[in-house]
Amino acid sequence: MQKIAKFFMVSLIIVALASLPALTQAQSGGKILIMARAADTTGLDPHKQTAFASLRLLELIYEPLVTLDQDLNIVPMLAESWEFNADSTQLTMKLREGVVFHDGSTFDSADVKATFTRLLDEATGSAARSNYTSITSIDTPDAYTVVFNLNTPDVPILAAMASVNASIVSEEAVAANEFEQKAIGTGPFVLDQWIPEEKTTLRRNDNWWIEGPYPDGVEMRVIPNEATIVAALRAGEIDFALLNDPLAAVLLKDDPNIVLNRVPALAYHVFQLNASRAPMDKLEVRQAISCAIDRQEVLDTASLGEGTVTGPLTIPAYQVPTSEFFCYTRDVAKARELMAAAGMADGFTFKTIVANAEPPTALAEAQVIQAQLAEIGITLEIEALELSVYVDRWLKGDFDTAVALNGGRPDPYTMYARYWTKAGNLQGVANWIDDLTDSLMAQGRAESDPAKRLAIFTEFQKHIVEQAPWIWLYNGYEYTAHQPYVEGFIPNPTDSLMSFAAIRLNR
Amino acid sequence: MPALTLASAMASAEPSGRRAKPFLVRLLTNLSGALGATVVTLFVVTAVLGGAGATPFPPAQQFGRDRLTAPNERYVLGTDLFGRDVASRLMQGAWNSLRVAALAVAIAGTLGTLIGVTAGFIGGSLDTLIMRVMDVFFAFPALLLALLIIAVLGRGLNSAIIAIAVVYTPIFARVARGPVLSLKAMEYVTAARCIGTREPMILARHILPNMLAPLIVQFSLALSWALLTEASLSFLGLGTQPPDASWGVMLAESTSIAERAPWLMIYPGAVIVLGVLGFNLLGDGLRDVLDPRLRKR
Amino acid sequence: MLRYIAQRLIAFLPTLLGVSVLVFFAMRLIPGDAITAQLGTEAGMLTPTQRAALERYYGLDKPPVEQYFIWLGEVTQGNLGFSIRHGKPVLEVILDRFPLTLQLALMSVIIALLIGIPIGVLSAIYHNTLIDLIGRLFALIGLALPNFLVGTLIIYILSVYFKILPNSGNYVSFGDDPRRNLEQMIFPAFTLGFALAASLMRMTRSAMLEVLREDYIRTARSKGLRERRVTYSHALRNALIPVVTLLGVQAGYLLGGAVIVEQIFALPGLGRLAVNAISQREYALVQGVTLFIAFNFVMINLAVDVIYASIDPRISYGKR
Repeated sequence: MQKIAKFFMVSLIIVALASLPALTQAQSGGKILIMARAADTTGLDPHKQTAFASLRLLELIYEPLVTLDQDLNIVPMLAESWEFNADSTQLTMKLREGVVFHDGSTFDSADVKATFTRLLDEATGSAARSNYTSITSIDTPDAYTVVFNLNTPDVPILAAMASVNASIVSEEAVAANEFEQKAIGTGPFVLDQWIPEEKTTLRRNDNWWIEGPYPDGVEMRVIPNEATIVAALRAGEIDFALLNDPLAAVLLKDDPNIVLNRVPALAYHVFQLNASRAPMDKLEVRQAISCAIDRQEVLDTASLGEGTVTGPLTIPAYQVPTSEFFCYTRDVAKARELMAAAGMADGFTFKTIVANAEPPTALAEAQVIQAQLAEIGITLEIEALELSVYVDRWLKGDFDTAVALNGGRPDPYTMYARYWTKAGNLQGVANWIDDLTDSLMAQGRAESDPAKRLAIFTEFQKHIVEQAPWIWLYNGYEYTAHQPYVEGFIPNPTDSLMSFAAIRLNR
Repeated sequence: MPALTLASAMASAEPSGRRAKPFLVRLLTNLSGALGATVVTLFVVTAVLGGAGATPFPPAQQFGRDRLTAPNERYVLGTDLFGRDVASRLMQGAWNSLRVAALAVAIAGTLGTLIGVTAGFIGGSLDTLIMRVMDVFFAFPALLLALLIIAVLGRGLNSAIIAIAVVYTPIFARVARGPVLSLKAMEYVTAARCIGTREPMILARHILPNMLAPLIVQFSLALSWALLTEASLSFLGLGTQPPDASWGVMLAESTSIAERAPWLMIYPGAVIVLGVLGFNLLGDGLRDVLDPRLRKR
Repeated sequence: MLRYIAQRLIAFLPTLLGVSVLVFFAMRLIPGDAITAQLGTEAGMLTPTQRAALERYYGLDKPPVEQYFIWLGEVTQGNLGFSIRHGKPVLEVILDRFPLTLQLALMSVIIALLIGIPIGVLSAIYHNTLIDLIGRLFALIGLALPNFLVGTLIIYILSVYFKILPNSGNYVSFGDDPRRNLEQMIFPAFTLGFALAASLMRMTRSAMLEVLREDYIRTARSKGLRERRVTYSHALRNALIPVVTLLGVQAGYLLGGAVIVEQIFALPGLGRLAVNAISQREYALVQGVTLFIAFNFVMINLAVDVIYASIDPRISYGKR
């Protein structure tokens, strides 16, 4: 019995010791930027990763030829300058000199060629390959010049190169093919260690070709619960956070001790109709659905108004005032008329697939749409699915309707060619196409004059909104939050963390 | 998991003796029993009202302009993100939560008892085989099992019921088998067998009636865990599906917004605690009343 | 006794085999595979050749039954497979996470013991008094509070009112920094321990009540032993037997990881590992973790039975 008593005493001391105050400790480790996010990297191969969470890490390690600034202009990175030939079938790039990879090897045109050869090799399994299939051959006239020969006029390929998926890797790395184990890029930070679902540590690249990076390193932590991330920011335990859930982010809006950045996102919330299934094969039914939905209310409820009602293109340079779109102001009477015209005055029942918590607002959007459609006699049944199951069904086009948050791109063509061209890889998901749409996309691809491109894509948007294969809803914000002493971070509409290198920690 | 608490509660139960006062009277004069019965009755009435649609507002109706209204005269317990009435949703939630818990326990209880009694009564290699299969489910991590079942069947109320039922069936089976083994060896059973009573008759007349009391206790306690499990599953988005409400769904919906609208977490939280408490109290009361060894303490 | 242990160990084999079959085929029944889990909607951009290459990479190019036997063959040789995402053998990934889960289980159990047993004993001694009532109320509330609620509340209160958050995704192991580690683990352990304390309290109380009425306690009393001595030395020791059993089984469950608590408190334990592996369709990892947890579970049950037999002379396992 005495033993038990002793055991209790010892345990009591341990517990008491642990709950002593002094829980807050001064952040140590010099100028290490400590950030947290809910999702973790899923893999290290820059050419194969598509998850946003992976891209946020890889863009600190690797660099592409060109990149996007905060206004989505294409700006030089590893390529200093570039030029298309007259008919946009040849792209010549001048490469930056004096850049070295993390392993000390020098960057030159052979690395660019090796990179794109790997991307285009089907055995690699890169989902981004489809963006570069117009490349027929790559010439390297000298160590710092590279020429891409294209089989068709392809202006958007430049924007497509401004992607983590087109990160330049070294010729030696391609030969070794150990991308899942080793991350050797030219970027501002060097990967020290990745412990899946826990944390990733990066250290400063002392040989970076730009001035900096200023932080000595970055520690990326995974905190699966966004409410806990907010708590960690408030408690001063982390310097920086990536937030996904607008409901969690708005908690910080009025917090004087935290800086919350909101940048309109390129990604768009959309209610996808499957026009290959009855009754959505009828134009009137699709239009009725479009007229019955109050996009602003969906936004106000699901995201607490955090965002803007949008048409198909979220790229600022290509946006069209929503008043010019078909039925962007809710019109229930017109919706009823259209239903009657389609012979569906009594309504019908269909389903929608929603991924659980991906995005966090999806289930709420579905519920608001459900309530709104009920007013014109349409019964919408919600099927909430685990993300992988959702993706599986989505890719097969196995749904009546789908609530989705689709990623945006800086160029209208790369953003939508996959869905709205006859040859698009995801035409089977979009399930609707007409000749006008297809030809507008082709014209937009070949056109290099910005004003003419704008006209083409404006027509494209108005046409597709009126045809209503999808109901575009709104685009939200990309949220980042940090302590006031974090200076120099430039929020980016693609959610990129590339400006981490420019951050100064004045704590 | 409370499995063992139950198992030992069962193990300590013996054939019930004679009854002095009517069962209900004894239950209601027992403090736990009376409290539990009151809470459970309130809960069931609310649930039935909620299920029948007798709520202040339609539980799924969205009053967009009134979203996130704090409790006031119109919305007694406030409104949620969609402007839906929290009180009405709690009532509907009571119905859904109770339905999932009750059906899951009914399935697990019936199936488990059947399996356990069969195994225990017949014995031999069939017993070994059945209990081995039950061992597999026992050893399988419970939440992973539920997750896998729901992943295979798809999310929803019915999947949640099946998942909870599958997890609890082996518990009931193991718990029912024990008393059968000991009852089978009782002298009066042997006596009955000697005078030529057929096996099914022995089972029906001598064994099952004597197991009834502990089974009732177990059902009541199992309901309380099933309620908690339903809440956990719905919290993970795996149970009741929107726009339908269950207490777990309401709590899950409240997590990121509770700071702005604390009533969204407080009321469903309080109701879950109260509901589970009620079933636990009722179970305690039933045990006090039904278990002769514990009587007159 | 040894013979009994050996028998039990052999009996575990079919159980574990059953678990392996169940988890293997359940995983194959879930729609979606490692490729869609990795690439998301971008998987639609793959050409058939690319897809085939990836299927080979993830080992999905053979029929499931064949995959199962290949896997089982490896498992019998102690190889649980390889996790591509973690870049390590599955067993290593599991063993990386296991110390945390083990520690969390132990701390929860200790907290539960510290709270549950004294209250249970007091409740039994002062049976049907105010103390008993308060004790029982505590237990009932403990049983009724869902741990996701307790966890969320703790985080909220700590961060908003105390401006602290012991664990912000920077878990440190006990070996690296014992004090920091305990700070991080105490709140999740309390969340788990609270519910466990409630059931321990109930068990202790009823066992004590039963024991206090036994003949030998009466004998002890009539021999003139002091009440305190009777209570602690005789009654508690005997009452603890079923409590030990309960603890054993609970520990077995806790060693399977505590998904929700791990999520809320950002702890990299076995539970989160398993759930993430399911959503990533990391078949080998899910199978490995499940088998590992099941193995621990049966071993702990065996250990409890053996301890039980050695404490309680009335039980013998030699023959049945």
